[in-house]
Amino acid sequence: MASLAAPKTTVDTDVVVKFDKVNKYFADLHVLQDVSLEVRKNEVVVLIGPSGSGKSTLLRSINHLETINSGYIYVYGRMIGYYEKNGELHEESEKNIARQRAEIGMVFQRFNLFPHLNAIENIIEAPMNVRHTPRPQAIADAERLLARVGLADKRNHYPRQLSGGQQQRVAIARALAMKPGLMLFDEPTSALDPEMIGEVLDVMKELAGEMTMLVVSHEMGFARAAADRILFMDEGKIIEDTTPDELFTNPREERTKAFLSKILH
Amino acid sequence: MYHFDWPLFWKYLWPGTALANPLIRNGLIVTIAVSVIAQALGVVLGLFAALGKMSKFTPLRWLGDAYPGVPILVEISTFNPIRWLADAYIWYFRGTPLLVQMSLLFFGLGVTHIYDFPDIHFWFMTISGAIQAGTLALGVNEGAYMAEIVRAGIEAIDVGQMEAAKSLGMSFAQAMRRIVLPQALKVIIPPLGNEFNNMMKTTSIMVVISAADLFYGYTQVNATIFKPFELFIDASLYYLALTTVWTYIQARIEAGLGERKTEIKTVGMFQRVFAKGGH
Repeated sequence: MASLAAPKTTVDTDVVVKFDKVNKYFADLHVLQDVSLEVRKNEVVVLIGPSGSGKSTLLRSINHLETINSGYIYVYGRMIGYYEKNGELHEESEKNIARQRAEIGMVFQRFNLFPHLNAIENIIEAPMNVRHTPRPQAIADAERLLARVGLADKRNHYPRQLSGGQQQRVAIARALAMKPGLMLFDEPTSALDPEMIGEVLDVMKELAGEMTMLVVSHEMGFARAAADRILFMDEGKIIEDTTPDELFTNPREERTKAFLSKILH
Repeated sequence: MYHFDWPLFWKYLWPGTALANPLIRNGLIVTIAVSVIAQALGVVLGLFAALGKMSKFTPLRWLGDAYPGVPILVEISTFNPIRWLADAYIWYFRGTPLLVQMSLLFFGLGVTHIYDFPDIHFWFMTISGAIQAGTLALGVNEGAYMAEIVRAGIEAIDVGQMEAAKSLGMSFAQAMRRIVLPQALKVIIPPLGNEFNNMMKTTSIMVVISAADLFYGYTQVNATIFKPFELFIDASLYYLALTTVWTYIQARIEAGLGERKTEIKTVGMFQRVFAKGGH
């Protein structure tokens, strides 16, 4: 539980995600070390770094799939996962956490589509049961989203009948169905065969500019084309926070250079 | 040399003659009905016990937060009453004989007049107190076993499913009901079928509280004509028929589960159970 006295909520409404000295431990492992960060509206931020550097943990703490040990995380100026009472932080009720998560889209490395539901059912599940959207409306929205990710003809296909790239595109449509202003992508193409990576990245590029995006990915082509900022993380810290151009032409830190030389070959 | 009474053996085996005896006819109905109801009760209790074991409810957590320096309070603060209840339930009902549980429930509650298990008159039939107590004991006992089966089913589902559901704003209960449990059902159904098979045989111990099931019917016939060898072979063959038919039904159900959902045609229950070959 975060224990410091909470500062006043941010008033800058353009700041969508704000980390204030966030710390997180897995037993003795200090996975997030005093992380502070601001992401502005419609920014596309790509997180890179070696495995175990804390980038997925950072992303997952934004919708409280990971708890934090100290510090504050705000989304749209509202503290995530905790509330303040008498100068102390308490974990939010399940209902309020769910309400906060509904505003934040998330795409997973392993897709995590619901295998017992077909594509359209996967997409309408949350709008109907969380937002209580009437079924015809939810279906109309879902069909539009499926068309948008290029899968209008896969409407009644079950996840197992779709390729990895198609599953991930359905998963993106599923997240978009909740009309989030913020989307989190946790290594969305790492589990895909090389020939399917492009189709997923194309969908993501199209979303860039329409919404705030945080993307954990080593796809440098995507970062170059779509990212406004790149964060390089190592050992639980943000080592470098810069633009793609700067990072590729003129990385400041030795660790960044060493890492880039490994992934860019 | 024992003289095997063939005519009697056939009389109490052949359904046309055996089921003419109301003790055996009603006993067979009771055995099937009690099995189904007790198993259903077991599934419901097992589901609650499994969820109880997974509960993260610690109402005394504030004690540890308020007095982090006092070890006993920190220890108490992790107490989870729901999990404790589920654990105690499973521990007791798996750790003691069903025969004893059933006797305790029926005779024990009866003698103390906590509950006398009066007969229930319902529509055209009468459900005896012994049958009520027997069904209850079987179901509560079964729940303790179903709890582990349900829990294993839930735990077989990738945690990513729960995370995906939560990331979409679903509550734990919603995610369980709509996403995890429907998938866990596929894992739960095969062992559930085996449990039901056991249940049909285990109902026979209700004879200890004189609940009029199939076995009781045969013991009553035996009490008048004393032919235990012939009659109990007949009784065993009736149980064998029940479990064999069920094994066949179970195989059909599991075959249906394995099919791709999109390929399942709308066939009636009868066709599904008894149709020869694939659909």
